[in-house]
Amino acid sequence: MSSIYFIALPLLFGFAVPILSKIGKDGVAYTSLAMQTLLTLLSITLALKLDSPIVEVIAIAPPLGIALVVDSVSILFVTLFTSLTLATSIYYMGGRDKIKYKNENKFFILLNMLLASAIGLVLSSDIFNIYVFFEIAGISAYILASYNKTPEALEAGLKYLITGAMASIFLVFAIALIYLHLGTLNLALISQNFNTLSGEIQLLIATLLLIGFGFKVEIFPLNFWVSDIYEGSTSLVNGLFSSIVSKAYLFVFFHILYLLLPHHSFTNFLIYLGVVSLIIAEIVALRQRNIKRLFAYSSLGQLALLFIAFSIQTTDSIYAGLYIILAHSLAKMVIFLSISYISDRYGSEDIEIFSTLNSPFLKWVLVISMLSLLGMPLFAGFVGKFLLLKTLGGMGSYGVVGAILFASLIEAIYYFKLIGMLFNSRERGESINISPTQKSILSALAIAVILFGVAPFIISDWLNVASEAMINSHIYQNIILGVKI
Amino acid sequence: MIETILNFLNQKEVIQATVVIGSMGLFLIGLFGLLTQRHFIKLFISIEIMEVSIFLLFIGLSFQRGLTAPMLGDGIKTFTNMNDPIPHAMILTAIVIGMAVLALGVSMAIEYHKLTGITDVDKMNRLRN
Repeated sequence: MSSIYFIALPLLFGFAVPILSKIGKDGVAYTSLAMQTLLTLLSITLALKLDSPIVEVIAIAPPLGIALVVDSVSILFVTLFTSLTLATSIYYMGGRDKIKYKNENKFFILLNMLLASAIGLVLSSDIFNIYVFFEIAGISAYILASYNKTPEALEAGLKYLITGAMASIFLVFAIALIYLHLGTLNLALISQNFNTLSGEIQLLIATLLLIGFGFKVEIFPLNFWVSDIYEGSTSLVNGLFSSIVSKAYLFVFFHILYLLLPHHSFTNFLIYLGVVSLIIAEIVALRQRNIKRLFAYSSLGQLALLFIAFSIQTTDSIYAGLYIILAHSLAKMVIFLSISYISDRYGSEDIEIFSTLNSPFLKWVLVISMLSLLGMPLFAGFVGKFLLLKTLGGMGSYGVVGAILFASLIEAIYYFKLIGMLFNSRERGESINISPTQKSILSALAIAVILFGVAPFIISDWLNVASEAMINSHIYQNIILGVKI
Repeated sequence: MIETILNFLNQKEVIQATVVIGSMGLFLIGLFGLLTQRHFIKLFISIEIMEVSIFLLFIGLSFQRGLTAPMLGDGIKTFTNMNDPIPHAMILTAIVIGMAVLALGVSMAIEYHKLTGITDVDKMNRLRN
């Protein structure tokens, strides 16, 4: 089974749309759904039977070639992305009779383009290829953000585009410097030879990469635009941004950083950047009145937490980071999918809609995901946060531990305020009935959140191997350079 | 006299220094525009100037005098005395991507202007509370 299908099929789908739209009213929608189901099944099968990494080289003419690497950590992300995109698609199809996008075919093309580029980002082992996927993901995200073409949506799209264009300039700069000094674009070869460069050049390249990816991984001070994007775009798209796009960028950034500067003092600086980012995001979240904006800041907080986890650069902290990614992606998906339905029904985006919400089912899934984000025991978020704090405690960084606990306290204030609004209110709006398809998607995601919380051992083996594969640059070098091109 | 000046200018170090100074100057012009201009179109032009400066830097530094274009044919069978084709291929791709992003940005700006009449990023504050 070739890994190129994960990228080629969603992209080919876009070209097939003119033909598919001829075969019936719902031809495009159901083909997209079928393809995403196929990709999800393929990624799960591949993940279950993957015993050694697969390297696939699409050779143009030796030594030129593009390699895709499927190892235990990249397949984790591929599985996560395909299954969450599938969840979004099914959820959309379930409510399609009530909420339908204009030019639906375009929406499906963009959704699949986003999926293909996110998968391409995590699989590719060629730094210029990463740049190309970086831009494809960006372009599809800009269009998705401004999809409704209201002034708010276009404003969000424009802001996203301008910051994204700046990010890509710095990334090209970094890639150009790498190529000029090392004469290769292959990540494994770059990783092998990077320490032959002088210290200043190493730091310059790392800083350019940090600025380039910093916009995309939404780290302070480059995250001023994020809350506007979330407020302007639809909630369905916000779910994708929060659980797929930002996670793909985060993984690639740290993957490159581990390969280029393993255990470098540069990463200590990143820990403090993460701490500042975390505290600012949580404090600003406290006074938000718009529900999408509030969860945007909560996403920023979680991404900062991930930034801290990955910056520590030990196997344990990466294990914790991967767990937080899993927990956050699932929980945020539930929250944004529910909000897309609720805000559409009540016609408002103020947090007051939580106190008028009249649907026991939605209340419970929202509570489960919020408690998980907060890091309450029995939910997936707890395992990640607990492991991270344990690692930090073991290292003696009590300052960072204190900062994370302080941020969790602030988080608790607004989450419990929201939970209070859900359950203690006198007046209720009209009761809303979510369709069975949508109900099953939300319950599946919520059950996954609880399952990973009570039984972390079911994926602990996988995450152990994955965190080892992610941090150890020698493993990666051997995987790629062991293959004869 | 002219011969000495030309020889001086033909030195590898001088060419590279000119490329670096020139493209970094262009980069700073773009950055200045990005920070001072508030009109959408001017912003996009500034971004494009920054992007082009990086392209020039990369092509300028990887180009070597005296080597030919990397093409086979007409009796030439091996890649000897040829410039490295990868930077050119990369920059071509990057130019195409940059143009696509720019076109998308301009079209969004036009749509936004049609709806609101605003052409200034600072006045774009529907999403701020």
